Amino acid sequence: MNEHRRQILQMLSESKISADEAERLIAALEEPVAGSSSQNASDSGTKARPKYLRVQVDSEDDGHEGPTKVNVRVPMQLLRAGVKLAGLIPPQALHRANVAIHEKGILFDLSQIKPENLEELIDQLSDLSVDVDQKDHATKVKVKVFCE
Amino acid sequence: MIPLVAVVSLRGRESRTLRLWVPLIVLWLVIVPLAVVFSPLIFVGCVACRINPVGAFSVGWQILRALNDTEVEIEHRSAGISICVF
Repeated sequence: MNEHRRQILQMLSESKISADEAERLIAALEEPVAGSSSQNASDSGTKARPKYLRVQVDSEDDGHEGPTKVNVRVPMQLLRAGVKLAGLIPPQALHRANVAIHEKGILFDLSQIKPENLEELIDQLSDLSVDVDQKDHATKVKVKVFCE
Repeated sequence: MIPLVAVVSLRGRESRTLRLWVPLIVLWLVIVPLAVVFSPLIFVGCVACRINPVGAFSVGWQILRALNDTEVEIEHRSAGISICVF
């Protein structure tokens, strides 16, 4: 690498190339180095991919209902297959499902879930952790969603 | 690998637990011949609904395979139900 740089500087000193050209050439030489260093950084930063999505609901009720606990473990593979299934839904059915979802007050478009975005979605889920604590006068609900 | 066994645990209010081992392989052995017999109907249904039949089969198979290690537990007061798929 130093050899190439020296050659560029020599050409510059011999006025074979201008200063701008020399700068561009040196920048071009440095590009692959920057690319490989960022790749190394991303390699070292890779985490183990989560295998499961876990949903835990803990509800305590002071009234007649009593405590309720829900613990669901869903494999990520099932989420992947579910997203692919959503990709198979015909457009008319998707539109009707979207309308029903919007009527419930959830602003979510099912047509945005595409198999192409699947891996990105799963990667983002690995950092997901949702904790909801709700306390009423009679009930105390704790919801936890995370990946493991 | 598709799930072969499901374990259903039922716990009553008397704290007695009933654990059922459900051999899913028997279910698959029953379903597979039926699916083969009804496959032309399924194919026609998919085409009528404008669903790619090959894609539907592929996704169905993937869902079946992904069911492994799924676990659902619900407890209410002292009663509860738990379903684990292996």
